[in-house]
Amino acid sequence: MDLVMTARHHGPEPSTQGMHDLTGTDTLTGTELKTRDVGQWEQALALVALSRDKQAYQELFGYFAPRLRAFGIKMFGNEQQALEMVQDTLLNVWQKAALFDPNRGCASTWIFTIARNVRFDMLRKKQSRKDDISADDLWADGDYPEAEDHQTQKWELWLITEKLAPHFAALPPAQRLVMEKVYLEEMSHQEVAELLGIPLGTVKSRIRLALDRLREALDDSER
Amino acid sequence: MTQSVNHHPSISLLELYCDGSLNAEVALLIATHLDYCPHCQQLRRDIETDLGAELAATNPATSVTEVHSTDWLEMMNKITATPQLPQATPAVQPDSQLSIGGYQFELPRSLRRIAGKRSKWLSMGGIATARLPSGEPHHASLLFIDKQTDVPLHTHQGLEMTLVLSGEMVDENGRYVPGDLIINSPDDTHKPRNISDEPCLCLSVLSAPLQFKEGLTRWLNPLQRFFY
Ligand SMILES: [Zn+2]
Repeated sequence: MDLVMTARHHGPEPSTQGMHDLTGTDTLTGTELKTRDVGQWEQALALVALSRDKQAYQELFGYFAPRLRAFGIKMFGNEQQALEMVQDTLLNVWQKAALFDPNRGCASTWIFTIARNVRFDMLRKKQSRKDDISADDLWADGDYPEAEDHQTQKWELWLITEKLAPHFAALPPAQRLVMEKVYLEEMSHQEVAELLGIPLGTVKSRIRLALDRLREALDDSER
Repeated sequence: MTQSVNHHPSISLLELYCDGSLNAEVALLIATHLDYCPHCQQLRRDIETDLGAELAATNPATSVTEVHSTDWLEMMNKITATPQLPQATPAVQPDSQLSIGGYQFELPRSLRRIAGKRSKWLSMGGIATARLPSGEPHHASLLFIDKQTDVPLHTHQGLEMTLVLSGEMVDENGRYVPGDLIINSPDDTHKPRNISDEPCLCLSVLSAPLQFKEGLTRWLNPLQRFFY
């Protein structure tokens, strides 16, 4: 059975509602998949990062867990290690969603590279070689370094999702202005600072504040 | 003469690096080449995009055994019960400087952590080597060649891969600058030399012959001397 947990309409409580999806008939067929929007997984990651959105995470998990498992079985040749890889990979997806940068690649690429790194380190550990060359040495520029203010640099493409748009309009004017310049007009932080005659640090602060607000608004609207 | 990287790994070597199936020592060499080479960095992104798309298109129904969905649910609930990572705490940055032969070298990112674990330098004439943590059948080491110094003719049974980190080297086939990857098979009788007035630092990986029995051609870039 192809497991997919997608039921947004079921409400906000995945731990119980998810059960229905898993055992019920609410699965997604291949043809439905093809009709889904490009960018769906990127948006899901954005929601997980911004508001710990469990339903968005369920979608990602439901789609990628069985595929990662198949990938892991191909790589390891056994199910136990494959599942260990799946769990570790998807835990990283949950914990590090904020580090995903949609400008640098798609969600599937990001998830693949996490799985690849997890698998590499698992194999090294098995060979008792975990203290020497690690995945971090080989793919650290993985191109997802833990940037200092990662939250202020991303989401250009995803901020204006259906879900976020109304909250975006409700931002305080100063924050909204900065957000519009950066995310809609694609100006650099420095350019915005010069245009508005405010310090660069202020631009960054306003963006951080705006993102916090958006996160709160999302949290509230899901309750 | 241009200083840009001229000697690249082949696409198939990059593919093995990207899918994680290359042995760690050779992968380290490739990762280090990437630190110097925007051209191969782009290729890497392209390959990873392909591999990611392949993962997304995997048919999960090819699985041999059935996993009950309750297991998935348990896994997912366990994960989402975990707090997300707080703001990244800056990790301790390993030393990016390396001193040898009275010179200071700036190490590329990929080697910083692992270079801190090198064994002590063994010197002979203007040459010095220090082993990096690596296991059979591969040896990874740092190789220092002082200015105006020839590397003594040496024999080895396996494949020798050298990446120039700083300075330059020449051999019968050409001149190598930082980022250049040199692959020599056991029967190559090349004699690398540093004929410049700057010291040269390299990363060297020696491999046992068995690891490469599938043939060298797969590993060599047909466009080795391609300028871009
Ligand atoms: Zn290259």
